[in-house]
Formats: sequence, structure tokens, C-alpha cells
Amino acid sequence: MFKNTCTNTLLVLLILFITSCEKSDTPIVENEMEVFTNATIVVTNLSDNSLTTYVFEVEAHGHDDHGSGGVAPSEGDDHADHTEIKLAANSEYEFAITFQNNTDASNPIDMTAEVIDEADDHHIFYEFTDSSLTYESTTGDTIDSNGNPLNLVTKWTTTTGAVIDVAAYLFHMPTSKVGTTRADFGGAVDVEIDFEAHIE
Amino acid sequence: MVSIYLLASSFIFCQECNLKIKGYIIDSNSNSVLKGAVIQLVGKKVNTISNDDGSFMLENLCLTDNKLKISHINCNQLIRKIDFSQSSNMIIIMDHKVEALDEVIIAESKIKSSSTAKIYSLSDIEKDRYSNSGLSGAISQISGATTLSTGGNISQPVIHGMFGSRVGIIYDGILLENQQWGQDHAPNVDINAFENIRLIKGAGALRYSGSSPGGVIILESSLPKKIDSLYGKTLINGVSNGLGGSLISSWTKSYENGKYLKAQGTFKISGDLNTPQYILSNTGSNEKNLSLSFGSNNDLKNWKVYFSYFNTEIGILKSSHIGNVGDLLIAIENKDPAVIDPFTYDINYPKQSNTHYTTSIDFSKYYDLNNKLSFKYSWQKNNRKEFDVRIGSVKNTAALNLNLDTHNLNANYEWKNSFARFSSGLFFQIQNNYSTPGTGVKRLIPDYLKTKFGSYVTGKIDNNNINFGFGLRYEYNSNDVHKYYRNTRWEAENYEEILGPYVVDEILSQKLIKKIFVFNTLSINTGVLFKLSENKDLNIQYNYIERAPDIAEMFSDGLHHALASFEYGNPFLKKEKTHKIIINLEKKSGVFKYNLNPFITYGKNYIIIVPSGFEQTIRGAFPVWEYSPYNVFFKGIDLDFSYNFNDYIKFKHNSSYVQGINYDNNEALVGIPPLILNNQLSFYFSNWKKVFVSLFSKNVFQQKLFPNNNTVTSVFENGERVDKIVDVSTPPNGYHDLGVNFSFGPYEMSSFKMNVSLVFDNVLNNKYRNYLNRLRFYSDEIGRNISLQIKIKH
Repeated sequence: MFKNTCTNTLLVLLILFITSCEKSDTPIVENEMEVFTNATIVVTNLSDNSLTTYVFEVEAHGHDDHGSGGVAPSEGDDHADHTEIKLAANSEYEFAITFQNNTDASNPIDMTAEVIDEADDHHIFYEFTDSSLTYESTTGDTIDSNGNPLNLVTKWTTTTGAVIDVAAYLFHMPTSKVGTTRADFGGAVDVEIDFEAHIE
Repeated sequence: MVSIYLLASSFIFCQECNLKIKGYIIDSNSNSVLKGAVIQLVGKKVNTISNDDGSFMLENLCLTDNKLKISHINCNQLIRKIDFSQSSNMIIIMDHKVEALDEVIIAESKIKSSSTAKIYSLSDIEKDRYSNSGLSGAISQISGATTLSTGGNISQPVIHGMFGSRVGIIYDGILLENQQWGQDHAPNVDINAFENIRLIKGAGALRYSGSSPGGVIILESSLPKKIDSLYGKTLINGVSNGLGGSLISSWTKSYENGKYLKAQGTFKISGDLNTPQYILSNTGSNEKNLSLSFGSNNDLKNWKVYFSYFNTEIGILKSSHIGNVGDLLIAIENKDPAVIDPFTYDINYPKQSNTHYTTSIDFSKYYDLNNKLSFKYSWQKNNRKEFDVRIGSVKNTAALNLNLDTHNLNANYEWKNSFARFSSGLFFQIQNNYSTPGTGVKRLIPDYLKTKFGSYVTGKIDNNNINFGFGLRYEYNSNDVHKYYRNTRWEAENYEEILGPYVVDEILSQKLIKKIFVFNTLSINTGVLFKLSENKDLNIQYNYIERAPDIAEMFSDGLHHALASFEYGNPFLKKEKTHKIIINLEKKSGVFKYNLNPFITYGKNYIIIVPSGFEQTIRGAFPVWEYSPYNVFFKGIDLDFSYNFNDYIKFKHNSSYVQGINYDNNEALVGIPPLILNNQLSFYFSNWKKVFVSLFSKNVFQQKLFPNNNTVTSVFENGERVDKIVDVSTPPNGYHDLGVNFSFGPYEMSSFKMNVSLVFDNVLNNKYRNYLNRLRFYSDEIGRNISLQIKIKH
């Protein structure tokens, strides 16, 4: 009886002490498919058709030694480093916004095309700290199946000189496409970029 | 017929009748000897009774005497053939009778015999009450246990403030693997496939798991009786909240020779759940489970082959899919979900789909009454897919597609004598985790190959009024990890210094490292059980647990859509060391019964996820949460008591309180359950149509101890940019849930017995939120729920 036990135990031991295994196959890298890496705004002065291009490219890290209490984002309380878009007072401009995924630099993906493909599920909204600046959809914009403009191409009208904080949002699956504040739209923010409009 | 038989026996009467047989009677549930069993020669008046050590002897038998009838007050009667050619002792294993009245807990267990720790069991009624909702809910009926959930459909057990891999789930002797995948994952196990569900608070089962300081949940199926029989049980559930239901059926075919075949299946469906005020859109779910086993339960040799399939598809609350912290702020301020659609059974994105297969083979052999050798091989295969709300070409592609293959091989040897029993063994595990590529999302969990082996010994010594128990488990744990790091993260964390030499590839602004992470862990469990009197026990347990960090804790890398945060692992984590002392004072019988259970836990390098900064993306600024080691301390107390006013009115109470403190910053730990009080008043009208009514009350207090993990985000308000606090820390208010349970039966029908129960949960349709729900920012908990259950025993 005991001999039998020993043989069995030995057998198990043998199996157990095969050296640890190594993983041989290298995992394939994931090409991130739906990441927005860049947003580009082309501003056209409608009085002279002059173009200025602004590229928003974001990938930065804030790190602090969090102990207790809330942590403030590195931006949020300091807007000094924000992109400035210079506009003249009492003028009209065309703002055309596009989105890119440049994760794989050799194979950039045009995300604007995907937004247009799913026009019903997307909406762009610009929020201002000052109501003296206004915008509306204009020629070249995409209209969804319910007749709502996406605001990819908009006409901006300036009045008095001011420095105005602007946030541009790309909403995915908004619950409404009409509203005056961000909370009116619902859905998920796919892109949020901040800049300052310097109206002089 | 009778006359022929008598004639036959008179013919052979002249043969020699000087044979004898000796043997032992064993109780299959406790594996201990059974005294007082009556052993009778079939057809004759010769009989004897087994002694205190379970032994018996019958003399002056004839060659023609070929059958014994064995009976015992607690067991099913057995008929055994006599084999005179066998020289050694006959070993006769008897099974406990399955009690007709389901209130009685089938108490003895394989686990129980090897540990002095207090074991909590669920009665059949308690188990069946949660047949439709699953393991975590069922376990939360026990003091000290609660649930951590992600919405209404995903929940995992929390014991003494711990969850995930700190709570071991052992089903059919196999440790459930997949807790490595993080917090939003419910255990893939169907409670309906098991007859017994037990809980040991603390590391009470080192044979199966050495890394569970919280506790272990043990699901066991009982061995079929050794008779020719076909029996089964069918449960039909209908549920008002979600207009769902389930059909659960299990069947066993057993034979007198010990062979058996068992099959069990569950089919479950639910539409959108609802709170008292609104529908929770996209919270439907469905589940399909199947398990099959067959085996042989001989006196000396047992074997079993087991197969199970578990599949579930779970909708995640639509409104909880958000973009950034600003969206989270809006959700918290709005309180109600942004999307409320009409009721549907359809499950859209976001959703989870999980599949789990298990195959296992068991073999055990008794060498004699006191020595048993057993082997077990098991293979678990898990797949988890998560579908998000996505755009473009990947719209219908799973954002996460994880596979986990785990092979386990165990050898166990048990031996015992009249006052002690020991069990020791060796185990070997190989686990392969891989992500199906092509998701278009960075892997949440990297591909890895884990090799684990080790050994354990557990023992229990009975010394009249004092029992000693101990256990020791050593594990060697090696993880060969392939992990892609984004260059930005690599630089921000300065990984180059330590992980630089392990870089094997660089592609698309990512670095691939290949490194083997090795951990050696040792876990110890000791306990003393003092039998203070006939029905009073005092039990003191000390556990020292070393736990290797989970892969998720070391390498998580992803955006949590509902919390709008990045969650990162920490590759430099060391093993976690926990000391736990549990005291249990119990009065086990009488009109007034109680069980008082205080505990303390100290954890060194205890791994928790904490906020560690911000990451700026084109979607906005995201809070970053990172797994980090801390020195922590838990203290708590669980109390159970019951009082029987008389045979008809019974009162039951249980309460649990736990506090968790992070010593390093003197803050409370996040996600610690608040004070919970459960009361139950039951009325038995057994003489009147077998009706039984129970009133339940559950008081959950507000958690006052919590860390400040709030973040700040800047929003536009009245023409100005202002910073706003996103309050993810403050626990919701307490709540009081009332329930009523009406049970009818069992009623004897022609070929089956039937029970009916009607349960009202949250009967007042109260509106509240639950601190331990990760989606608590988006909606209230579900409202009133009426469930009707029909139980048929064939």
C-alpha cells in the first residue's frame, strides 16, 4: 500500500518540478482605432479669405504627490498657456474643425469622415464665456438625417473687443442637439479643446 | 415466492457456517466513523450494531449469506454484497439522509473536518431565494458579507471589507480564476449547480487558496445516494423588476453500485430594470449555464468527471458611458440618468459578455480507513468581451476581448487517527492570459503566462474540549509578462531605469517589455476551538497571508468609462502581507442562539487603487488612479443571534460593522461597507396549510468614514470659467429596505413535492443609492421587486 502511495506521489512531483514555462508568442500591438489625437481648426477671415490653421494636439501628463484632498488638473486654474485665436471686432469668420487620429504616424486616420458617417450620433458645440461672440452653421457643414447641422463648418460673428474663453466639444450620442450650455446636450464628450478668442 | 426461498435455504443449511466478516461504517459527509449503525444479514435475524470506532463483526455466516442491510437513524438504508474472498475489512460508507424539511442545514462538510474555523452555511431556503440573482446576493445574507456591484447586474462578494482575489471562491474543489481581471467582473459561477454554499471568514481553506484574507466561499455538490434512483429539482422564477425569470433544473440518476450521472441547467433572462421612478435603460441580461458530471462513488475508490459551461450577457446602464470628468460632473449634478428609453429586453452597447468553461477529473482512493489519496485535474477557460459605445469601423468590435486558460493539477493525501487528521498535498498551475488582438484599444490586461506550484499541509487535533487546527501553504508564482507601455507613460513614470533592459520591441510610440515577475508566498493559519460547554464554543483564529499582486494590480492600463478615469497598475508592487485575528463566540443551540465575531486585520503593502494625478488628453483632463501599497488596519465585528419565541414565531438578527484605515495618511479606506443591520421575523403556520411568512428588514447606514478622492474640473457658468469639485467621495445616505416572504409547502403531489414562495423586496419602493455600487453616480438602486418561485422536487 505505502509503496503505491510513494510511486504516485513521485509521479506528481515529477510533473510539478518541470521548470517554469516561458511565453513565446509576442502579442501584436493594438493600433488604437478611435482615439482622437488631433483637432484642427481652420479660421478663414470672410472679408479677405485669409486662412489661419490652429492644431490642437494633446498628450500631456500631470502628476502630483497626492496625499489627501482633491487634485486640480494642471490646466483648469491656469489658462495662460492656451492657444489664442486672434479675431478682429465686428467681423465674420468661418471656422472649419476637423479631427485626426495620428497614433500611427505612417497611417493617420481621418476621424472627421467617421463623424460625418455617423452624423446622427455626433454634434459640435462651442461654449463661450461672453455672449458678444456668436456662431451658426454655414455652407459646407454636414446636416444629419433630422435636419440638424453638425457645426463642422460654422460662421462666427464678432462685435466688441474682448478676451473670451472658448471650449469646443464633440459630443457622441448627444441626447439633444439644441442647447446653450454643455449640460443641455448630454451624451459623451469625445473631444474637448479649450482656446481663447482675442477680439481686437 | 417465499416458500421457494425457504426451501432453497433449507437445502443448503447443511453447509459449513463458520465464516465471519469484519468492517467499518463511515459517514460520507464527515469522513468519520459512524457508531450505532445496524448491520443485518438479509433474510436472517442475525444483526449487530457498530461500535464507537465504527467497527462491526458478524460471525457464523454461511457462504450463501450474500447480502447485508445497513441502517442508521440519520442515513439512507444500504444493501451491500458480501465478498468472503476479501480478506481485509469491509468499509461501508453511508450517506446522510437529505432532510425533507429544508430549514435543516446539511452541516458536515469536507472542509469542516479539516479546520477549526467557524463555517457559515446557507440553508436551502436561503439558497433558493437567490437562485435567480446569484452568488453575491446569496452570500450577503451572512453577517460580515456584502456585495460590491457595478450597476444592477454585476456584483462580487465583499467579506470583512475585502473583495476580488482576497476572497477565494472554491467550486467543486477548484479555485475560481478570473478575479485577476479587476473590479467590474462578477464571479462566473452558477450557485444552482451546487447543493451546499458555505463561507469561512478569513483564510480557512489553505488547501485551496493561500491568498484570501477576506474569506473563502465554498460551493459543493453532494454525492448521490447509493440506490437505484432518478430524482431532480426544478425551480421556476418570475421576477417583476425587469420582467425577467429563470428556469433551473437539475437531475441525478444514481445506481446501487455507486455510479451516478448528474445534469443541471439554468436559463435566465431579464429586461431593463427599474428604480422607483425610471427605467434603467440597457440593463437587461441573460444567462445560460449547463453542468454535467458522472462518476462512481465506491467504498474505496471514487472518481468523477465534471464539465460546466457558463455564459452571460449583461447590459451596462447606457447613461454610465461618459466622455470625461465634465460629463461625470453633469451626471452627479443631474442625479437622474441622461437617457431613459422605453423598456426593452434588447441589450445594446455598452455590454459585457462572459463565457466560462470548466472541465475536471477527480480520483480518490482509500488505502484503509485512515488513509486517502486523491488527485484532481481541472481546466478553466474564460472569455470576457466588453463592448463599448464606439464609432467608425470598430463600432461592433469588442473593446476588450480577454481569454484566460488555467490548468490545475493537485495531489492530496489525507490521513487520520482517533484524535487527529492531516491533509497535505502538492499543486501545479499553469495559466495563460491573452487578448484577442484587433480590438483597436490598448490591452487592459497584458498577455502573460503564469506558473504556480507549491505545497500545503493542514491538520486538526481533537483533544476533548480543545481542538487545534493549523495550516501552512507555500506558493511559487512566476509571471512571464508581455506588456506594451505608451512612450508618454514610460517617460512620465521613468520606467527606463528599471524596465529599460527588458524592452524587446518599439512600435507605434509604444515599448514592449518582456519580463518574468516572481513571487514566493507563505501563508499560515492556526486556530484553537474551546468547547466551553455542550453548546458553547470559543474559537480563535490567526491567519498570516502572503498574496502575490494580481496582474491587474501590476499592469492595468485603461480608461474606465463610467468613472472617467485612467487606471494604471504598478509593476513594482511587492507581495502583500496580512495578519488577521478572528474570534468567534457561539452558542449553537437552544431557544436563544448567538454568534459574536470580532476581528482585526493588519495589512502591509496592502494594495489599493488611489488617485495619483491627472492626464491631459484631447478629451479633456482625466484623473489618474494607480494601484499603490499602503499599511492598513481593519477592525470589525459581526453579530448573529436568533430567538425562538415558540415553535411558530422566530426572530433572527445579523449585523456587521467594519472600519478600514490607511495608516500612511491616516485616511479611511475607500469602499468599506457601512454598518448593516438585518432583522427577520418569521411565522410558521405548519399546521395550517404549511404556510410560512417572513418579514425582512435591512438597515444600511451612511458610511461616515471615507477618503477625499474628489477631483476638480473647470466648467462654464454664467459667462465665467469656474472650477468645480467632482464629488466622487461622499457616500450616499443610508436606507432601509423592507421585504416579505410567503412560503407555501411542501405539498405532496402524485409524483413530486411542490413549494411556492412569493417574495417582495424593497416593498415600500424606496429610492436610495448604494455606496458599494460603482455606478452610484448615475442612478438610484432598483425599486420594488416581486418574485414568484415554484419549486418542484421529483
